[in-house]
Amino acid sequence: MSEPFRAAIADYLGRQRWFAGGAARIREVHPLPWLSPPEHEPRVRVELVTVAAEPADSVYCVPMSYYSAEHPPYEHALVGTCVDAEGNTWTAYDALHDRAAVRWLVDGFATEAAAGGLRYHVTGELRLPDDVSSLVLTGEQSNTSLVIGEDMLLKVFRKVQPGRNPDIEVHAALQHAGSHEVAPLRGWVATDSGPPGGYDIAMLQDFLRTATDGWTYARASVRDLLAEGDLYADEVGGDFAGEAERLGVTVARLHTDLARVLPTVRWGPEQLAALSLRLRRRLREAIAELPELAEHAGTLERAYADLGEIEHPVPAQRVHGDLHLGQALRAVDGWRIIDFEGEPAKPLAERTAPDSPVRDLAGMFRSFDYAAHSVALSDAADRQRQHRAAEWAQRNREAFFAGYAAEHGSAGFEQHALLRAYEIDKAVYEAVYEKHHRPSWLEIPLAAVQRLAVVAA
Amino acid sequence: MNHDVGSAEVRSEDPYWFKRAVFYEVLVRSFRDSSGDGVGDLRGLAEKLDYLAWLGVDCLWLPPFYPSPLRDGGYDVSSYTDVAADIGNLEDFKVLVDSSHAHGIRVIVDFVMNHTSDQHPFFQASRNHPEGPYGDFYVWSDTNDRWPEARVIFVDTEQSNWAWDPVRGQYYWHRFYSHQPDLNFANPRVHDAIIEALSFWLEIGIDGFRLDAVPYLYERDGTNGENLPETHEFLRKVRGYVDEHYPGRVLLAEANQWPTDVVDYFGDPEAGGDECHMCFHFPVMPRIFMAVRRQSRYPISEIMAQTPPIPDSCQWGIFLRNHDELTLEMVTDDDRDYMWAEYATDPRMKANIGIRRRLAPLLDNDVNQMELFTALLLSLPGSPVLYYGDEIGMGDNIWLGDRDGVRTPMHWTPDRNAGFSSATPGRLALPVIMDPVFGYQAVNVEAQLANTSSLLHWTRRMIHIRGQHPAFGLGGFRDLGGSNPAVLAYLREFGDDVMMCVHNLSRFPQPVELDLRAFAGVQPIETLGGVEFPAVGELPYLLTLGGYGFYWFRLRRPQDDPDGGERPS
Repeated sequence: MSEPFRAAIADYLGRQRWFAGGAARIREVHPLPWLSPPEHEPRVRVELVTVAAEPADSVYCVPMSYYSAEHPPYEHALVGTCVDAEGNTWTAYDALHDRAAVRWLVDGFATEAAAGGLRYHVTGELRLPDDVSSLVLTGEQSNTSLVIGEDMLLKVFRKVQPGRNPDIEVHAALQHAGSHEVAPLRGWVATDSGPPGGYDIAMLQDFLRTATDGWTYARASVRDLLAEGDLYADEVGGDFAGEAERLGVTVARLHTDLARVLPTVRWGPEQLAALSLRLRRRLREAIAELPELAEHAGTLERAYADLGEIEHPVPAQRVHGDLHLGQALRAVDGWRIIDFEGEPAKPLAERTAPDSPVRDLAGMFRSFDYAAHSVALSDAADRQRQHRAAEWAQRNREAFFAGYAAEHGSAGFEQHALLRAYEIDKAVYEAVYEKHHRPSWLEIPLAAVQRLAVVAA
Repeated sequence: MNHDVGSAEVRSEDPYWFKRAVFYEVLVRSFRDSSGDGVGDLRGLAEKLDYLAWLGVDCLWLPPFYPSPLRDGGYDVSSYTDVAADIGNLEDFKVLVDSSHAHGIRVIVDFVMNHTSDQHPFFQASRNHPEGPYGDFYVWSDTNDRWPEARVIFVDTEQSNWAWDPVRGQYYWHRFYSHQPDLNFANPRVHDAIIEALSFWLEIGIDGFRLDAVPYLYERDGTNGENLPETHEFLRKVRGYVDEHYPGRVLLAEANQWPTDVVDYFGDPEAGGDECHMCFHFPVMPRIFMAVRRQSRYPISEIMAQTPPIPDSCQWGIFLRNHDELTLEMVTDDDRDYMWAEYATDPRMKANIGIRRRLAPLLDNDVNQMELFTALLLSLPGSPVLYYGDEIGMGDNIWLGDRDGVRTPMHWTPDRNAGFSSATPGRLALPVIMDPVFGYQAVNVEAQLANTSSLLHWTRRMIHIRGQHPAFGLGGFRDLGGSNPAVLAYLREFGDDVMMCVHNLSRFPQPVELDLRAFAGVQPIETLGGVEFPAVGELPYLLTLGGYGFYWFRLRRPQDDPDGGERPS
């Protein structure tokens, strides 16, 4: 591979939302065999790009399509040009944006055969549409999802890791449990080569065609509230509490199903102490990056220390791990939860380990806070606006919890110390994230940390 | 101005005309008074057919105009085969029907088969001569404890479905008011009497019936007396009779039930529907109000997703407002859908929608909202039923008793009595609207005819666009979803006619991205102005809409696959 083309790939990666960290330093590009038949254009294959990172290198999945001439409709997905061994020039595109290429990528599901260095798995009956026209969904952060035909969704994992992808694992388990809280899984694809078992690079599931995500939906409600001069959240038409309550019911059912089909444990004093230690370590790491947090260190640490006081054993199970409004889709017949990969920054083992369901409740509570204050942010000095945004968050948090408790029973969740600790942990994580990625939003988690510190004190 | 009665017949021959028709509910007593006695009449209505034809109305629906003590808005019928004296006579009615047909407008009439007024000769004969030919025409009993499972529908006025008749010395059964005894459909002679009455009007030339309160015809032990198989059997009998003798006429059922139950009134889908041609889809209307209030498409999307398919030869009827208050009949005992719960707990909805209001006052007289609601009414699946006066944004008078507040005279001109009547104003049966916002001097047909940017002209244009596109009446419905929950977008498709309707349910401007892959390369054409929008490209199609804005686009299907490439085998 020529150096300019490698540089073009690095440049392309650097411009993608799914690529973590600024400029890419490419160690290796490993192309898998061609998926498209010989002499066919575009030529299509998956390429695994190893990028230098700390503490270990990362591997990215980049399907590419090659044309002998430029293909203007896909200009937004242009990677660069390269010259092959015969001296022919090829223009390379991100294949996921190229409909003609995507059909070669998904065709293996129909035959369930190995092709292009990939192995295709299908769960149950699968009928691929005759017309595999695809569309890349916008707004996704760490992966790339495509609508295939009318009712299938192909989620291509960008940063791949050895072993079963947790998203596939959880979907398959919930499918087995007959769960209605997720979109049904139809299949997945793994590479033949690489580490034992290869890399899982994509999963195929039902597409919730008419759904929208809860983050967009909730923020519309906040905007509606703030556009009114002096009405309370329950008085405006865009009130979200009914939806929040139903979402609580959905999350409760999800937890019940996960506990049924995946391992559960009970935490005793040692595990709680270990959790407390883990949280404190994360806090100290965060303070090192964001010194503003230091002033609350004492109260926050005491909140973590309180974990030693709670009644045990505490039930722990597989949870979502990174639950927020953006992971909930409103379909015509109710809510669905997506994206079970856990908090991306954590190592895989930690993401799939049993945790308290309270972790997800804390995530959702933080999300209500974010939805409210991200809308009110434009007018941070207006205390009335901030106050009303906080009221919105409180109302929907209560509605969500009411729905959750009605379905799940509140047993085990009166452990306010645990909820508070997880909320603090999440807010601290958010603060560090915002400092690096979105400084203008930093005040949202910082204000939350301050609030939680007061409650904890 | 009048067309000659008996001029060329201009109705279409299509037996399924009702699937594409725009209906217009008109209260004869409130539309136009030709005699100057203060009450609208049949001749007055006939005078206004030019206006209705200009507007684009395909079919009139006349609520009961029969002789009646008028204790239930005329639904208490005291003769099935005559016209109430204050609105005209049978000759006037024939003139109205013929003249309507000459204008290309059909006419359907209300028919109340479940019950009669207690003044009806049938009931008088039944109570006075228990052994006579009408003795068994009603449901009599020595006790008042049979069929306890049947709920009392008018709970605020009636305590029981049984009432004591001192003349006959027995109790009689009534599902509605106690002055409206239920006919006894277990008696085959009642069937004969009903069919004879239907024939009477069909012979005059009417185009069909709206059948009032059909779920309650029969009673049976151990049931709630609703939707019984016997009731369906009788409707099949009526349908068979009408099809055989009067093809092309339509039966429209009022069954205020959930769509999954209402579909039974279309009859056997295998037979292509063998009961009613049309049924009202009741939940659509409150859902539209709810969706705009919540600024969320889900209330509408949900009910459309829950609406089962109907036989090919059948059609829903949908409406925004009608002569009744918004009925909460389905709200109280139904927990199948959470929307009702939210709806009832919202104080503003309760204050405005649970009572008797017209469309314009319900929407705070906001023209943008009125246009949005009308666009939804005209583009969702089903034949739209307009309520007289809503096309000019008429107001109501909440100080009038019962449901009269939404039954006030039509405003034709800014002159005396709004041009409705030449009577002394004090003699009008119901007063015209006189408040400063909705008063007849501000809101009337004449003023809006003169102003081409009026709500009236806009409504007419929309009705005409609807008429040009068979997709609205005959086509499938496909919810497009989209990136923005405040935007409701759907396709209506019939063969090559594809309409994409996009509605912003929010008061704020909104963007939406739509997945239009199936139409890659197509240039959507906005139908009100004919403007070509940018072609659908590789990315999701981006539209922006103003607050309460909407678009109706025509999409021409691409001729061939734009991708070309072969499919792997």
